[in-house]
Amino acid sequence: MSTLVKATDITKDYGQDGVVTHALRGVSLSLQPGEFAAMVGPSGSGKSTLLNIIGGLDRPTSGTVEVDGQRLNDLGKSALGELRRDHIGFIFQSYNLLPVLTARENAEYVLRLQGVPAAERRRRVTEVLAEVGLAGMEDRFPRQLSGGQQQRVAIARAVAPEPALVLADEPTANVDSKTGQSLLDLMLRLNQDKGVTFLFSTHDPAVMQRARRLILLKDGEVAGDGEGLEDIDGV
Amino acid sequence: MIARLAWRSVWRNRRRTLITVLSIGFGLSFAIFFIAMGHGMYTKMISDAVRMQAGHITIEPRGYLEAPAVESYLKSPAELRAAVQRLAAVQRTKLLVLGQGIARTGSGTVGVALMGVEPSAEAITSPLARRIIKGRYLSDRDGPWVVIGKTLAERLGLRVGMKLVITTNNAAGELVDELCRVRGIFATGSEEIDGYFMQAPIAFARRVFGLPAGAATQLGVILASPDDQEAVLAKLRRLTAGQDLEVEPWQKILPQLASYIKLDEGSNYVFQGILIFLILFTIFNTILMSVMERQREFAMLQAIGTRPGQVMGQVFLETCFLGLIGCGLGMLGGAAAAGALQHWGLDLSSFYGGDITISGFAVDPRLRALLTPGIVLGMGAAVFAATLLLSLIPLRHAGRVNIVDQLR
Ligand SMILES: Nc1ncnc2c1ncn2[C@@H]1O[C@H](COP(=O)(O)OP(=O)(O)O)[C@@H](O)[C@H]1O
Ligand SMILES: [Mg+2]
Repeated sequence: MSTLVKATDITKDYGQDGVVTHALRGVSLSLQPGEFAAMVGPSGSGKSTLLNIIGGLDRPTSGTVEVDGQRLNDLGKSALGELRRDHIGFIFQSYNLLPVLTARENAEYVLRLQGVPAAERRRRVTEVLAEVGLAGMEDRFPRQLSGGQQQRVAIARAVAPEPALVLADEPTANVDSKTGQSLLDLMLRLNQDKGVTFLFSTHDPAVMQRARRLILLKDGEVAGDGEGLEDIDGV
Repeated sequence: MIARLAWRSVWRNRRRTLITVLSIGFGLSFAIFFIAMGHGMYTKMISDAVRMQAGHITIEPRGYLEAPAVESYLKSPAELRAAVQRLAAVQRTKLLVLGQGIARTGSGTVGVALMGVEPSAEAITSPLARRIIKGRYLSDRDGPWVVIGKTLAERLGLRVGMKLVITTNNAAGELVDELCRVRGIFATGSEEIDGYFMQAPIAFARRVFGLPAGAATQLGVILASPDDQEAVLAKLRRLTAGQDLEVEPWQKILPQLASYIKLDEGSNYVFQGILIFLILFTIFNTILMSVMERQREFAMLQAIGTRPGQVMGQVFLETCFLGLIGCGLGMLGGAAAAGALQHWGLDLSSFYGGDITISGFAVDPRLRALLTPGIVLGMGAAVFAATLLLSLIPLRHAGRVNIVDQLR
C-alpha cells in the first residue's frame, strides 16, 4: 500500500516581536493507510502545529508534505480547501459543531459540501450516527447533547465522507476520562471495522496506551516513534 | 443548506435580531410616515394654491410674468381653451383677468390685486369659495360685485353689501374708477391673500381693466393629477408654438411656494437621512458583532472544506433576512401609519390656535398624508440596498479568518 502521509524535514518558525519560536525543528513522519497513531509529548512540543501542517491548515516554513498522493506545498488555498473537504476528516478538542444544526445536519455537512445526493446522504449519515451510538438522537441540537455525545457527532461528521485520513487534536481533552475512553473505543472500532486511518494528539496516558503507534514530540522534534510506551523513552 | 444555516443563525441571538429588525422597522416606518406626510402637505398646498390662483399650468401673453400689466392680454382665448380642455389630463381650465389697482372707501385706500373669475366654475374648485365667512361667494349673475379678504375688509371698514371704488390704469392706459359692492368676505388665513386679494366676476373685471368681451390675461389649466404636469406642459408648448404665448408651470408663477416646498423638503430629507443613517448603523453593528463572535465557527467551517465564498454567502443571506424582515416591517408600519393619517387626518388647529400659513400660503389645518406606492417601495428598497452594501465589510471578515489562529 502506498504511504498516506509523508512529511519530510518539516520546520515551522513563528516570529513575534523579533522573537522566533521554532515550533518544529525538522520533523519527518510517514503514515500508512489503516494506522491508528497517537502523537504525544508535553504541551508546546509542536503536536498541534504538525497536525495543522499535515491537514493543510497551515504551511511549513520548510520541508514537504504529501497527503494521499498530493504534495501540499504545491497546492493553492482553494485546492487545499478541496483536499481537506474530500480527503481529510477533522476532529477538534472543543467539538466545534454548528449550534444551529441538529446532530444529523452537522454530521452530513461535509457530504452536502461534496454534493452527495440527498437519499445517499441520509442513508450514510443514519448509518454513521448509529455507529457512533447516537441512533435516535439525530434530531437533537448540540445543546441537547452531553460533551461526549457532541464529540461523537463530530466524529460522525469527520468519518461520514469516508476520508483517507482523520486528524484529531486532543479529541478527549474536554471530556472526563471515562467518556474519553469510550470515544477512543469508538475511534478504534472505526479504525478496525472500517479501516479509517487516525492520527491524533493526546497527553492522556490512558489514551496513549490504546494507540497502536506512538510518536513522541519534544521541543519540535520527533523524540521517539514506536508501537507502545515501552518503545519510547521519556514519556 | 446555506440558506437554512443562515436563517437559523439569524435567530440564534433572538434578542439582538429582534432589536435590529424592530429598529429597522421603526426607523423605516418613521421615514415613510414623514415623507408621506410631507407629500400630503405639499400636494394640498399646491392644489389649493393653483386652484385659487392660475392653475398648475398658466398660459399667458409673452412677457406678462416679467411685467404684469393688462395691456398684453389674450384677445380671443376661446379656441385655445377648447383645445386645452380636450386633453385627457386636464381637469378644467379657468379664464382669468388679473390686474392691480387701488381700492378706496371713506375709511382708507389699499393697493389690491383684482382677479376676474368665472364664478360658477370657480365655486366648485377654488378653496376661496369655501372660506367665505360673511355673505356669500360670487355667482354668474353678479355684476359689479367682489369678494374680499377679512383683513382688507377691516382696513377699509367694509361689511357685506357696502360700496368701494376701484381705481386702475386700464388697457388703454387711462386712469379709471369703477364702483362695486362687497358680496362676501373670506378668510384664508394668509395675510397676503386676506389683505390684498379680491375676486370679481370676469365680465366686471374686463370692464374695470378695459378689456374686450371674451378676452383674458391668463388661461389657467388645472390637472386631475399633478403627476401629469410635465407631460401636459410639453403638449401645451407644442400646441401654442408660434403664438406669442408663454406656457409656465405653477413653480414659475408662484415661486415663493415652490421655493418654500423645496426648502422644507430639503430639511425633511436631512431628517430622513439622519434616521436612515441610524438604522444603517444599527444593522451594520449587528452584522459586524455577529460575524466577530463567530470567527471560530467560520474558521472551523473553512477547516472542514467550506469555501470562503460559501461562508460569505451565508453571512450575506443572513443580512438579507435581517433586511427583508426589517424593511418588511418598516414598509408595513409606515404604510399603516401614513394610511391612517391619510384616511382620518389630524386637526392641527388646536395645536396652533388658529390658521396656519407658510410663506403667505394658507395651509389646511387638517393634516393629511398622501401615500404613494413609490414612497413605500422606494424607501424600502433604498434601505434594503444600503443594508446589503454595508454588509460587505463584515462579510470580508467572515471570509478571511485565519483558520489556525482561530482554532487554537
Ligand atoms: N500562532 C503562533 N504564534 C506564535 N507561536 C506559536 C503559534 N502557534 C504555536 N506557537 C508556539 O509553537 C510551539 C508549539 O505549539 P503547539 O504546536 O501548539 O504545541 P502542542 O500542541 O504540542 O501543545 C509552542 O511554543 C507555541 O507557543
Ligand atoms: Mg496542542
